Amino acid sequence: MPIIMISGAPHGQSEALAKRLQELTGWPLLGRQVLLEEARKAGIKVGRLINAVIRSVGSQEKLAREKDLYLAFITKRLCESVIDDNLIYYGRFGHLLCPGVSHRIRVGLTTPMHQRVKNVMQQLNLPQEKAITYLEQIDADVEKWSKFIHRETAGHDPRYYDICLNLQHINIDYAAEMIHQMSELPEFAATKQSRRQLEDLLLAARARLLLAANDQTRNAELGVRAKDGVLTVTYMPRQKVDENTIKNALADLEGCREQLCTMAETSILWIQERFDPESESFSQINQLAQRWGAAVELLRVVPSTEAEKKPAQAEPVQQSAEYTGGVEDDGPEIDDGGLTRTMDELIAEGRFAGARTIYGDKKDILDVCQEGGNYSLVVIGDMFLEKGHEARMRDTRELAIGIRDSIKVPVITANEMQSRFLFGKRHLVRLLAFAALVACIYLLVFHFQEPILSLLGGKLHEKMKWLSSLAVAIFVPVVAYCYSTVTGLLLKAVGID
Amino acid sequence: MEHLVVHFLHIDLATALQVVLLGFIGGVLSGFIGSGGAFFMTPGMMNLGVEGVIAVASNITHKFGKAMVGSRKHGEAGNVDKKLAIFLLVTAVAGIQLAVFINSMLFRGGTGHGSAKGAGANLYISIVFSTILLFVALSMLRDLINSSRNKEEGGGPSQKLARFFKRFNLPPIIYFKVADIRVSLWVLLGVGVATGYLAGTIGVGGFIGVPAMIYILGVPTAVATGTELFLAMFMGAYGALSYAYQGFVDIRLTMLLYLGSLLGIYLGVFGVKVVHEKIIRLVTSLIILLCVLSRVIAIPVYLRQLNLLNMDPSLDVYFNMTSKFFLFASGITGCLVILFFVIRAYRQRRGIQHSIRVACQDTSADLKPEAVTTTG
Repeated sequence: MPIIMISGAPHGQSEALAKRLQELTGWPLLGRQVLLEEARKAGIKVGRLINAVIRSVGSQEKLAREKDLYLAFITKRLCESVIDDNLIYYGRFGHLLCPGVSHRIRVGLTTPMHQRVKNVMQQLNLPQEKAITYLEQIDADVEKWSKFIHRETAGHDPRYYDICLNLQHINIDYAAEMIHQMSELPEFAATKQSRRQLEDLLLAARARLLLAANDQTRNAELGVRAKDGVLTVTYMPRQKVDENTIKNALADLEGCREQLCTMAETSILWIQERFDPESESFSQINQLAQRWGAAVELLRVVPSTEAEKKPAQAEPVQQSAEYTGGVEDDGPEIDDGGLTRTMDELIAEGRFAGARTIYGDKKDILDVCQEGGNYSLVVIGDMFLEKGHEARMRDTRELAIGIRDSIKVPVITANEMQSRFLFGKRHLVRLLAFAALVACIYLLVFHFQEPILSLLGGKLHEKMKWLSSLAVAIFVPVVAYCYSTVTGLLLKAVGID
Repeated sequence: MEHLVVHFLHIDLATALQVVLLGFIGGVLSGFIGSGGAFFMTPGMMNLGVEGVIAVASNITHKFGKAMVGSRKHGEAGNVDKKLAIFLLVTAVAGIQLAVFINSMLFRGGTGHGSAKGAGANLYISIVFSTILLFVALSMLRDLINSSRNKEEGGGPSQKLARFFKRFNLPPIIYFKVADIRVSLWVLLGVGVATGYLAGTIGVGGFIGVPAMIYILGVPTAVATGTELFLAMFMGAYGALSYAYQGFVDIRLTMLLYLGSLLGIYLGVFGVKVVHEKIIRLVTSLIILLCVLSRVIAIPVYLRQLNLLNMDPSLDVYFNMTSKFFLFASGITGCLVILFFVIRAYRQRRGIQHSIRVACQDTSADLKPEAVTTTG
């Protein structure tokens, strides 16, 4: 049986639908208001966060920390509320919570505007005109909230949901019945993998909250990830925390199979469409990360064309992390572009800083980079694979320039990382040979100027005009080729290529 | 009968070095903005005492090889759409023929009554040059400012015109794989003929061709630059063989130009790869503006020659000198700006490359992950 996440606009009928579903199923029920209240009681400054996001005020750094805490809290509460794999949650962006858990049914509920206006008029005792203005304002605020908290603006996009229901022509009872029937489908049944995913989310959320509750780790910038019960906390040495401090803060953490504390002096963002831990790029980036004491964050990009076939949303890597507990689930294998394998390797090396998949184009990548952490280097690997070779090279280069300009950090392509191999002995020999040839040509031409000029514009030319054209047609490209080879190799030797 | 060879310049070391320098500046400009070699190098050589026609012939011969190298380099970087170049070449030839016809008519139209023969053509060329290029440069600058303000568009060149022409959607529609654009053949024909005509009239291909490709066809800036160079290779080859047949090519000048220009063109192409395309457009428009200024300053001379302006003929020399000054200023300033950005980008890259090289060479045990990772 699944977890049902109902997302609807404010003053819609998501609560009524959730309650009707509870009557049908008897599953536990949780609403957004309850979560907010509990978060407030737990000391998370929800009111301040809402106010700051809506009015666009306050320090982005503090807001980001408050946001992480808020998300950790609601994730923890949601995961803890699941009983026998079941839960009904209603809110505004429930479909974006608990990413990667396959036994979720994400329900998008559309309530006609007139019904919402009617609800507001009844609930808040407002005249119709004011109710409309109020709803318009609250919808705009919700949009801002979703953009900041969930990095999403397209909350109404049907691709985000498993089912979208419009209450214009059906009533709550029918809607609840449809969802109830859908929940019995085997596709939404819990699996070992999805349960494991939920446990990992809970583990990471608990760890995040414990770290926030500890005086010594409260203000530290920490990366917290969990996979298969292994918790990875990444920290920077310039911060006033160390491995022991983190371990002490997490002493009471339950359900953790293993804790890995990775000290990262800095982080490297690696952007690619498909990852391969056996590739040369991986080896180079890993070596670089070790040298710099850096953690590597993976950003997998699924281009827009491919994304059209899939739900288009930015999501953490847990979606693709496949835990099978040694038993392979039936059904098609999820192709995550080698992200999980690469992530596993990085975790094993103690260099993992996080991973995400985004669906979109260059602009989306730039947005994600701007929202990301303090990177020391951005490496762009194989991108735009569906395009031709030339367009791919050019787009990669333009993306690199775009990222460099927007986040002001060095950006390098995977090819450039390998460029040190480009100038070797073979090139040196070639350079010397062509340099000698060019020198000979120039010496000959300037030593025997008279006969050559005679051919081009003198007596000889008078007799055989066509020979001048032929000589120019052959000689000029040869000189240009030979000398350009010398120039090109010389510049390559000094790194201008 | 006097042979043309007597008009060939005696080249000493100082002259040779100056020609190399001219080549270098022209090469940097060509590599970076796809054009700009000819407008700078031809008058530059004439200043050194080379006969005009020999300067043109040697330069166009040099252009043949330079464009070949430049387009090859651009091709390696994925910036040359050969299919697009061939379409433009064929259509541009028609435009050039039209321009040649009009210019010839105007040239023959000199009255001989006090007005210099060809002054009419000069005036016509200068006015068209100034008007068209001023429009191009100001449009590019305006677009740059707009795109800087409008971050949502990603800061790229305006696609308004390209979208406008796309709306016609008249078949056959041709797909250009490298540029990654789809264009109606009819739009392409129009653009080709128009750019050919303007290029044939004012003698600068890239200044018209590159902006036309960017704004009307929607070609990415780097591809417009690379494709223009590819196009220039054919134009250069045709010109070189024709002039060689006439006996005007001084191969020594061509070879000296190569010494500077091929180095310059590599730096220019490198610049296209590492410098933001906004900078390419900015530099292009600034160079065009200075060229326009140079031409505008020369207009009173032609007006006087046509008896349309009452001016002391002794002032001609000052107008010509000032005009020439701005011409050289545009080339040298453009080259210096490009080199500044290229060197800056190069130093940044070297820093990264150095770090990476050190990292990849050092695999000592104290850098193994166990040292910084603990399992608890």
